[in-house]
Amino acid sequence: MADSGRRDSSTRFAHSSVLADAACAAQLRQEFSVWLKRYFAVDPTKASDVVLAVNEALANAAEFAYTAAAEPGAMSLRADYDCSASSLTVTVTDEGAWRITDPAKRSHTRGRGIPLMQALADHASFDSTATGTRVSLVWNHIAAALPAAN
Amino acid sequence: MDSRPDAGSSCTLDERRVDDISVVGVTGVVDMLTAPDLEKAIAQAAKSSPTAVVVDMTAVEFLASAGMGVLIAAQDELAPAVRFAVVAEGPATSRPLKLVGVTDVVDLYPTLDEALTALRS
Repeated sequence: MADSGRRDSSTRFAHSSVLADAACAAQLRQEFSVWLKRYFAVDPTKASDVVLAVNEALANAAEFAYTAAAEPGAMSLRADYDCSASSLTVTVTDEGAWRITDPAKRSHTRGRGIPLMQALADHASFDSTATGTRVSLVWNHIAAALPAAN
Repeated sequence: MDSRPDAGSSCTLDERRVDDISVVGVTGVVDMLTAPDLEKAIAQAAKSSPTAVVVDMTAVEFLASAGMGVLIAAQDELAPAVRFAVVAEGPATSRPLKLVGVTDVVDLYPTLDEALTALRS
């Protein structure tokens, strides 16, 4: 897995140019979950909500972004914490071509990723263009973890 | 049967019979990598013509939409000839299932005992 951009801190998680496939999505989800629990004081429900929503964005990129291409492209996951607003913004981007389908036409067994993201995040936006997709998820009441005493 | 010791996507599946009900026990992570194995386990459990299949996700720590799709597909395929129910409780499982309305389609119980009692009635 190519991972040319990896700079994590207490207010930023940035993993870019990750191969957009299911295994890498799972790995990235796991790394993000570790970062979230390390730097933030989130209750189990909030932690579950955030990790699941992020998973859905990664899963969509892995599944849909590059279906028309010969092989998977890249996706990026970035999270930025705004201390003054106690808000966490997570962005998943890919350079592929997945489109938001009409909910009325969606298969009954599939397609819950977007409704899940909308239900789990305080704000979810989906910006799809010819050159790629950006999913942006925002949570507004995230407290930073207190520094551990040394 | 278990699958995928990869980073973060480990799912263990077992099947047992409780009278005429097949219980598929799931542990760990149900995501796009492991959901196909759950689908196969449910199909396998239905082969012995039980009166019902129960997917017990008490020990599931992560459930993605890919897994939810498998549950809905199972409901579609098995019912009404074979009843279908899911056991799940907690922020990682029952909460998202309720949030996106999967529970409008699939019967959900917080414990296996409650599911078995309901299916026997």
